[in-house]
Amino acid sequence: MTQHCLASTVSLSPLLATASMAVACAVLSVFVVARRWALIGDGISHSGFGGAGAAWLIMLASPTLAAQEWMPYAAVLVFCIATALAIGYMSRGNRVAGDAAIGIFLVASLAFGFLARHIFLHVRGTEPSGFEGLLFGQINVIEPARAAATVLVSAAVLITVAALGKEILSYCFDPQMAQASGVRAGFIHYLLMVLIAVTVIVGMPIIGSPLVTALLVLPAVTATQWTQRLRQVLIIAVAAALLAVLAGVIVHAKWPFIPVGPAVVLTLFLIFLISYIAGRTRPAGAGTAALS
Amino acid sequence: MSDIIDISELDFAYRDALVLKQVSLRVEAGTTLGLIGPNGGGKTTLIRLLLGLLEPTRGSIRIAGMTPRAAVSRGDIIGYLPQNPAPPEMRFPINVRQVARLGLVGKTGMLRGYRRDDLAFVDELLTMIGIADLADAPIGALSGGQLQRVLIARALAPRPKVLLLDEPTTGIDRLGQQQFLESIAALKQRLGLTVVFVSHDLRAVSTISDRIACLNLTLHYHDVPEHLPADLVYRMFSCDLEAFGLGGSCGNPEHQHTHVKPAETVQRVE
Repeated sequence: MTQHCLASTVSLSPLLATASMAVACAVLSVFVVARRWALIGDGISHSGFGGAGAAWLIMLASPTLAAQEWMPYAAVLVFCIATALAIGYMSRGNRVAGDAAIGIFLVASLAFGFLARHIFLHVRGTEPSGFEGLLFGQINVIEPARAAATVLVSAAVLITVAALGKEILSYCFDPQMAQASGVRAGFIHYLLMVLIAVTVIVGMPIIGSPLVTALLVLPAVTATQWTQRLRQVLIIAVAAALLAVLAGVIVHAKWPFIPVGPAVVLTLFLIFLISYIAGRTRPAGAGTAALS
Repeated sequence: MSDIIDISELDFAYRDALVLKQVSLRVEAGTTLGLIGPNGGGKTTLIRLLLGLLEPTRGSIRIAGMTPRAAVSRGDIIGYLPQNPAPPEMRFPINVRQVARLGLVGKTGMLRGYRRDDLAFVDELLTMIGIADLADAPIGALSGGQLQRVLIARALAPRPKVLLLDEPTTGIDRLGQQQFLESIAALKQRLGLTVVFVSHDLRAVSTISDRIACLNLTLHYHDVPEHLPADLVYRMFSCDLEAFGLGGSCGNPEHQHTHVKPAETVQRVE
């Protein structure tokens, strides 16, 4: 019954896109959490509102551009990458603290997005297209070409992380020591920002702009409740993310009024809660080598 | 022995504030230089210059004949133990052996795997430093002293020529300090290291150093530990700010820096 529902409600390509995006997010989440960057994904994902806002204003100003299908995506892409690099730039210096830099861009993007929405409402008398999809994601409207692009982008993120794993790990452990040992810390810093931004961009239409951050935090935090071995953490994080995605899609298939985004995130939260409670009951050091 | 570190006529200023002035210093290969001075005297700035994290306002630095940036980017010239290394995220998923191996990342280069002999050397180092039994332990489970030993292993993993230690004994009890100093002396001997030991702890510095330099804006003294004038020590550490502005010529033509004048008026405090 569920299988039938799933097959009839969600086709294979969006499911593959969602799963690949979830795997990329889960792998990145290990480094995001280790670097104490949990809020960076939040800052970048909220810049999606800024990007959408820019797209809505362009729609008002230029009907020709508004007709272009790529335009909203381009606006979101440019906004998210620019925000990621700006947060990265500010958080590397010492004039603005890292969390403050995230907060600044988060609220500015939100404010700009809401302002643009209200201007659009005022001028056209109707909600701008894609507003709800931006908030909660719309897995059903992901066409095969976009699903393929999502899979490719996710694969590129995973290949990059695998290729530069030791540099990324070194940077996340201690940027200053990494730089002193010959790692190009600046390059790795901005590379991580861009990787986070592109996973946020591909995740946004699937589970929604504010919720995509959950996939950049919860899988790793969940995994580290069970083990502190890197390989196992990566495996558990990916498994938790895939389980949440599958559960979210099944819930959406069974009760279509429930959007996929909140269903995925709440499932992930539930998995984390169980891990946290189970982790707390385990003896200290369990799952790791005992210290002599 | 040749000089492995050669600092010549170095000035450094943060915007308009001069932090280092006319600092000239040479360190022979295979020796230990103790660099002492009060907080804010420019010790950590000098370390950051040696690491290529800052550029001199004037003058030059050569490490093994290279600029600091070139030396650092090679990955096997300088090993560095930072001051008060930030404790890792408690659940950072990495173990002691993996952290020590991170010292090889720069030397190995991007898109390449670690060399087998380098990995074997890391395991050897863990044994030398006495933490082989912790090799598989998660980094977040270590005590401060254990973490410091892991970071030394990390610094030494690429078999560097120079080991920079920035205030390594801060926050460690007397016994721990002694063990640390003995360990560094043994590693220096075994690996043929040149050590630059930065500290405001004169006792620790004098135990381990072949020569001592006192830094407080300029280099005030540069000689063997037993020749260190007591009045200079008093001036730099008991009423350190009063040491500013006092100067005199060195007499040694090789030393392009100033020395503190004897100060008869300064009271000693035990």
